[in-house]
Amino acid sequence: MNAPVRTLILGSLLLAGVASAKTTVTFWHTYNTDSTENKILTSKIIPDFEKKNPDIDVVAQQIPYTEFRQKMLTSVAGETGPDLARIDIIWTPEFAQLGALEKVDDMPGFKGLKSQVFPGPLSTNVYDGGYYGVPLDTNTQVLIWNPEMLKAAGISKPPTTMAQFKTTLEKLQKKDGNKITQYGFAVPGPYNWFLLPWIWSNGGEITDPKVTKATGYLNSPKTVAAVQTLVDWYKAGLISPSIAGSGLGSWEGMGAGKYAGSQDGPWAFPSLQAQYPKLSVTHSPFPSGAGGSVSVVGGENIVLFKSSKNKAAAWKFLRYLLSKDAQITMATTGQIPVLKSLVNDPYIKGHPYYGVYLKQLSKAKARPPHPAYTKMEDLIQGQFQEIFSGKKTVQAALDEAAQKVDAVLK
Amino acid sequence: MTRAMTPPRNPKTTRRVSRILMYVLLVVLAICMSLPMIYTLSTAFKGTVFVFEYPPQFIPKEPTFANFVNAWQSNNFGHYFLNSMFTASMTTIGTVAIAATGAYAFARLNFPLKNVFFWTYLLFMMIPGMLYIIPQFLIAKKLHLLNSLMGLVVFYVAGSVPFHTFLLRGFFQSIPGEIEEAAQMDGASRWQVFTRIALPLAMPALGTSAIFAFLGSWDEFTLALTFINDENLRTLPIAIRLFQGQHTAQWGLIFAASLIAMVPVVVAYVGFQNLFIKTVNEGGVKT
Amino acid sequence: MTTARAMQVQKRRQGRRGDALFALLLVLPGFLWFSIFNIYPAVYAFWISFHKWAILGESEWVGLQNYLRIFSDPIILIALRNTAVYALATIIGQIAIGFVLAVLVNQKLPFMKFFRLVYYFPVISSWVVVSLIFIFLFNSEGLVNFILVDFLHIMAEPKAWLTDPATALVAICILGIWKGAGWVMVIYHAAMQGISSSVTEAAEVDGASPWQVSWFIVFPMLKPTTLFITIMLTIGAFQSFIQFYIMTGGGPNNQTEVFLSYMFTQAFKYLDFGYGSAIAFSLAVLVVSISLIQQRFFKEGA
Repeated sequence: MNAPVRTLILGSLLLAGVASAKTTVTFWHTYNTDSTENKILTSKIIPDFEKKNPDIDVVAQQIPYTEFRQKMLTSVAGETGPDLARIDIIWTPEFAQLGALEKVDDMPGFKGLKSQVFPGPLSTNVYDGGYYGVPLDTNTQVLIWNPEMLKAAGISKPPTTMAQFKTTLEKLQKKDGNKITQYGFAVPGPYNWFLLPWIWSNGGEITDPKVTKATGYLNSPKTVAAVQTLVDWYKAGLISPSIAGSGLGSWEGMGAGKYAGSQDGPWAFPSLQAQYPKLSVTHSPFPSGAGGSVSVVGGENIVLFKSSKNKAAAWKFLRYLLSKDAQITMATTGQIPVLKSLVNDPYIKGHPYYGVYLKQLSKAKARPPHPAYTKMEDLIQGQFQEIFSGKKTVQAALDEAAQKVDAVLK
Repeated sequence: MTRAMTPPRNPKTTRRVSRILMYVLLVVLAICMSLPMIYTLSTAFKGTVFVFEYPPQFIPKEPTFANFVNAWQSNNFGHYFLNSMFTASMTTIGTVAIAATGAYAFARLNFPLKNVFFWTYLLFMMIPGMLYIIPQFLIAKKLHLLNSLMGLVVFYVAGSVPFHTFLLRGFFQSIPGEIEEAAQMDGASRWQVFTRIALPLAMPALGTSAIFAFLGSWDEFTLALTFINDENLRTLPIAIRLFQGQHTAQWGLIFAASLIAMVPVVVAYVGFQNLFIKTVNEGGVKT
Repeated sequence: MTTARAMQVQKRRQGRRGDALFALLLVLPGFLWFSIFNIYPAVYAFWISFHKWAILGESEWVGLQNYLRIFSDPIILIALRNTAVYALATIIGQIAIGFVLAVLVNQKLPFMKFFRLVYYFPVISSWVVVSLIFIFLFNSEGLVNFILVDFLHIMAEPKAWLTDPATALVAICILGIWKGAGWVMVIYHAAMQGISSSVTEAAEVDGASPWQVSWFIVFPMLKPTTLFITIMLTIGAFQSFIQFYIMTGGGPNNQTEVFLSYMFTQAFKYLDFGYGSAIAFSLAVLVVSISLIQQRFFKEGA
C-alpha cells in the first residue's frame, strides 16, 4: 500500500467518524427540482444552518406534491417518516388526528414563536386544543390585472367594490359577432380555493364558526346568492369559461391577451413573468362586497413527527427556518414570511407586490381547520362542478353539499 | 364489401389497386397513431412561451434544444438514468431467470399441486396490486429493503413472475418435445436437458420476456416513490415527476425529459424486433 | 409381468418421482418469492378489508361492513358503469384496430418494419406522459378541437371534452385504444405468421380480396390468440387507473370515476384503507368471473 492511498483511507475513516457523530435531520418538502425555492434551500439555507450547527446534518428530500400524502402515510405506517416536513396548512389537523405529529406546545421557545407569527396561519396548527406545527410561510390570493388592457378599456385603476367590479367586467368584454374574444376576468376553476374569496366577500359562509355543521351556512341565502352571482357573470360571458374548467387556463389566457384579469397567489407573478416576458401585471385586493374584501389563507406549516429520533436537533432547524434571516432569504423566492416583525423590513416594504398580499392577508380567512377537510372539500367542489356545468341549480347543489358535509362532520 | 357487389376484375389490377389502398391506409393510420407523439416532440422543442398556443403549432416557431439540455443537466438526471438502467436490467435478469425455470416445469413436467400453483399465479394477476403498497412497505422495512435499488428489484421481480411464467410456458409447450426426449435417452440429466437444449431453443422467447420485463420496471413509479428516500437512488419516473411543481409545471422540460427516458426502450425494441416477432408467434399466445 | 418390463415400469415411476422433485426445484423458488412479496401482502390487504383500519395503533374489526357499504355507495355504480364502458370500448377498439394493423403489416411490402415501429410506439411510451399529452390534445383550445372546428368544420364550437363526463370518457377510451392497439397488432401479427400461406393463397386464387381472406379465413383461425388477447385486455381494462387519475381525476363530481381511481381516493386520499381494500377485492371477483365467462364463451363458440 503506498502512502497517498493510506492517507486517503485514513482520511475517509476519520471523515466517517466525524459524520457518525453528527445528528441527521431529514426534512421533506415539495419544491420542484427546477424551482428557486429548492435551489435557495439547498445552496443557502441548509449550508448556513449547518455552519452554525456543525453537529447537525440536514438532509432535504423532495417529494412530488400530488403523491405527498401517499408517501407520508406509508412512511407513518412503517414508522419511518422524516423528522420534519413542510406540509399544506389544511393537512395539519388531519395528520395530527392520525397520531403522526408531535405536539409542540412544550418545545423550548414555542411560546415566544407563537407570539411572533401571524395569528391566522398559526391557527391552522391547532388540533384538539394543542399545537401540532408552526407556520412556515403564508400566502393568499389577490386579483391580478393586465394594466394595458385596463387602460385600453378606459379604466384608470382596478375596481375596489363588487359593483365597480361588475362594470369593469362589462367594459372589458369584447365580442366578435356572438363570439366573445376578450374576457374581463378569469376565475381559474370551480374549486374551493378559488371560489371561497367570492363567497366570503359577498357575506357567505361554509360552516358554523366551530366547524360542526354546514346546513344553514353552505346553503344559506347569502352563500347561494354569492355563487349565483358568479353563475350569472359566467353565463353573461363576463368571466371566462375557465370557472367551469374549460377554455384556456387563467395564466394562458392572460398570456395570450384574452383575459384582462385573474386571481392567484404570490407564485403567479414570477411564473407569468418567466413564461410571458412581455406581459405586465399589477395586483389589487379582492373587491369588497357585503362581507368585505375577504380572501383565503394558504401556505405551509412545518411539523415535527412523533417518530422522529432527533427531536431536539430537528426543533433547532425548525427554529432556524423561522429566524428573520431564513424567512427573508426564502422571501426572495416568492414565499411570504410569517413573522409579524418583518412587515416593516426594508426588503418586504420595497417588494413590488408583497404589500398587496400582506394587506389582503390581514383580511383573509383560513379554510375550516378540520381533520376531514379533504373530504369536505371534495364534496363541495363536486357540487360546484355540477353548478357550473349547468346540471343543477345553485340552491339544489348547495343543499346537497351541505347535507353531505354534515354527515362528514358528525 | 360483399362478394356480390364486386364486379369481375382483372386480378392484376385488383392486386395493384388493393396494394395502393393498403399503402394509403398504412399512411393514414400511421399519421393518426403518431400524431400525439409528434405533438410531444414538437412541444419538447418549444421554449416555455410557446407551449400553449391556439391554433396549435406542429412546427415550433423558434425550435430550441434548451429543454433537452436543461433536463439532462438538471440535478443529476444522468445519474438517475443510470439508476433506472441498473434497476431495469437487474429486474429483467431476475424475472427471466425465475420465470423461465418455472415455465419450463409447468410446460414439460408433472408435479403435485401443479394446477394449484398455476391458478394461484393467474388469480393474483387479477387483483389490483395498488393496495399491497402498505403491507409491501412493512415487509421491505423488516427485511431492510427500503432505500435500496436492489430492494426495488426484489419487488419488481416478484410482481412480474406470474405474467412471464404464463408467457414462457406457452412457448415451451410449442417446442416439439422429441429433441429433449432423445437427449434424455442419450443419458443427459434433466438439468442438462433444460439448460443445454430447452433454454437455447427458447432464446427468442426469453428475449421477448426480457423486453416486457425491462419496459415494466423502467416505467414503475409508485413503489419507487414509496421505497426510495435517498436522492442518489432516485429513478427516472420520479425525477421526471419532480419537474412538476405544486403551482407550476414546465411542460417543455417534462416532455423533453420523457423523450430522453424513452430512448433505451426504443433501442431495445428496434434491436429485438425480429426476435420479438418470431417468438410471440411461436409461444406467447397459447393459453 | 416379466422382470424386464417390471424394471422398466419401476424406472419410469422413479423417473416421475424424480421429475416431480426436479419440477418443484424449478417452480418453488419463483413461487416462494412471489408468495413473500405479493401473496402475503395480498392476504394482509384482505385482512385489512374487514377492519376500520388505523394507520397507527389498533384497528377495529368490522366484519363485512366494508363490503356491504359497496352495495349502498352510489359512486360504485358510476365506477362500475364507467369501467364497463371503458373495457368494452377499448377491448373491441383495440382488437379491431390491432387486427387491421396486423393484416396491413403482414403484407410482404417494403417499409413494413418502419410501420410496425410507428404503430408500436404508443405501447412503449409512458402512461403518465401520454395521459398528459391527451389532456393537451382534448383541451378546449387543443388540437382535437382545432381539427374538428377550424379544419374539418364538423363542429361549430370548441368543446370542453374533459369537463363533460360523457366526452371525457370518450377521450380516455380513445387514449386506451391508441395506446394498446400496437400491442394487439404485435401478437396477432406473430400468430398470423404461423398460418400456412397455402391456405390464404388458395383463397386469393379463388378471387377473394385480402380483406375477405383476413376476415373470413384468418380471423377464425386465430381464435386462441383472440382469447388470450381478450383476457389480457380485460384484466388491463379493469385495472386501468393512471389515465383516469391524470386526465379527469374521477371528476367532475365523481362522474368519471372507475374502480381503481375510486379505490385510490378512498384509500390514499380519505385514508379509509379498509373500504379501499374491499373495493379492490370486489373488483378482483368481478374480473375473475368475467375471465371465466370469456373462456366458456370461446370454448362454446369453437
